[in-house]
Amino acid sequence: MATGLSAIFLNNRPALLRFLRARGAGDESEDLLQDMWMKLEEKDLGPIADPLPYLYRMANNLMLDRYRSATRRERREQDWAEGAGGVMADPSEDIAVDERLILNERLEEARAVLQSLGPRVELVFRRFRLEGVGQRLIAEELGVSLTTVEKDLQKAYRAMIALKQKMDTE
Amino acid sequence: MNRAEAMMNEEALGWVIRTRDPEFADWEAFTAWLEADPVHAPAYDALMAADADLAEIVPTEPVTMAAPANDAGERGWRWSRSLIGGGAVAAALVAAISVGMWNRSDIYTVTTRPGETRTVALDEGTRVELNGGTTMRFDRHDARFAALDSGEAAFTVRHDAANPFRVTVGDALFEDAGTVFNIVRAGNATRIGVSEGEVIYNPKAEAIALPAGRALMEDENGLRVMDVATDAVASWRQGRLTYANAPVTQISADIARSLGVRLTATPGAGTMRFTGTIRLHRDPARFFGQAAPLMGLSAVRQGDGWLLREGDGPPR
Repeated sequence: MATGLSAIFLNNRPALLRFLRARGAGDESEDLLQDMWMKLEEKDLGPIADPLPYLYRMANNLMLDRYRSATRRERREQDWAEGAGGVMADPSEDIAVDERLILNERLEEARAVLQSLGPRVELVFRRFRLEGVGQRLIAEELGVSLTTVEKDLQKAYRAMIALKQKMDTE
Repeated sequence: MNRAEAMMNEEALGWVIRTRDPEFADWEAFTAWLEADPVHAPAYDALMAADADLAEIVPTEPVTMAAPANDAGERGWRWSRSLIGGGAVAAALVAAISVGMWNRSDIYTVTTRPGETRTVALDEGTRVELNGGTTMRFDRHDARFAALDSGEAAFTVRHDAANPFRVTVGDALFEDAGTVFNIVRAGNATRIGVSEGEVIYNPKAEAIALPAGRALMEDENGLRVMDVATDAVASWRQGRLTYANAPVTQISADIARSLGVRLTATPGAGTMRFTGTIRLHRDPARFFGQAAPLMGLSAVRQGDGWLLREGDGPPR
């Protein structure tokens, strides 16, 4: 790799290992680091502005993927156990219509909750969560302090996650 | 939930927001928080998963807010620009101010629903064609500027060396040099293909020149530049999608956007690659009946959407 990313990886190997352990990878931490190393070696990466945060993010994403596939597997096994598993080849029309209705209702509900938080909170949340803009930039755009943006995001996230949990138990 | 748990979840949410920020860099502090208690990591994971699920329920239409009270600065700038007139000085001012300019009342948003297309004419000889599921912003007072927030758009641009046309996509900037080009923005990944003229990627930083027949891809794996058939660029406008060794995940996102269907691929199918041309058809059942076998896959209905899976055997 021409980017020097491998040198940075090697220099920070202990810190990355410590991070993976803290992140809950346990005995597999070493293997995960090895996977990361292979990925870095095989991919021809362009220049990266902040190599170390990039490596940490890569490690964090690996752990998120692991968590997601584990919960997905659990859910699938549960579905099998309940005899409701798998993909239906050709569900009847009204099932699809029902699902669409539920989805529309949920979108409406989410929209109402977001709007109830006020236009600034809604705008900050959308810029951050949907458009992937950083908090510092959002603060600059709106001419407010970074703390204000942080508080807005906390407020929006609390409301949206509570709503999602409520929908999941419905 | 007891109080300690509630407090811990509050902390975990703080870390979800911080680590989701593209500029986040304090991974040591995050490590220290994780090490403080083994329950921190699972709490963080659960909230990150909840965050990922939010995309399903958060409606994507943009919100508009009245211009903030400290708008005087902007007016002052408009005034000084009209005083100086066009040319290089104004262009330099635009570059210096661009970030702070957003969400002012001059900026308007155009959104298409999946399956819907729309053409925006910016000035004589410059038009932007939006594919389905796309959100873009334009400036009423600056026809040489556009931002692609998500989705796909084809640009046909009248070239003016003194006042080049610019498109921002996430943190990246594309500047035309007499051009027809197509940009796709999905999540944090950006793809651009150039069919005529030339586009400069991030002219103030990397300054990568993309002549006709070249494409650039930027995602979590970094930057890549590759060849692309010029007639494949923005071929969705002619009702077809053309690929050279493209992953099925990318193709299914293009199909979903163009046809307005919900489409997912199984992990196995998603990693497969396809080379060739797929003809779009309004009727999803007919479309998938032809397109899926072409990719060596089969398509089945799943709820209100479709699922692409490996093999062409009957669904099990």
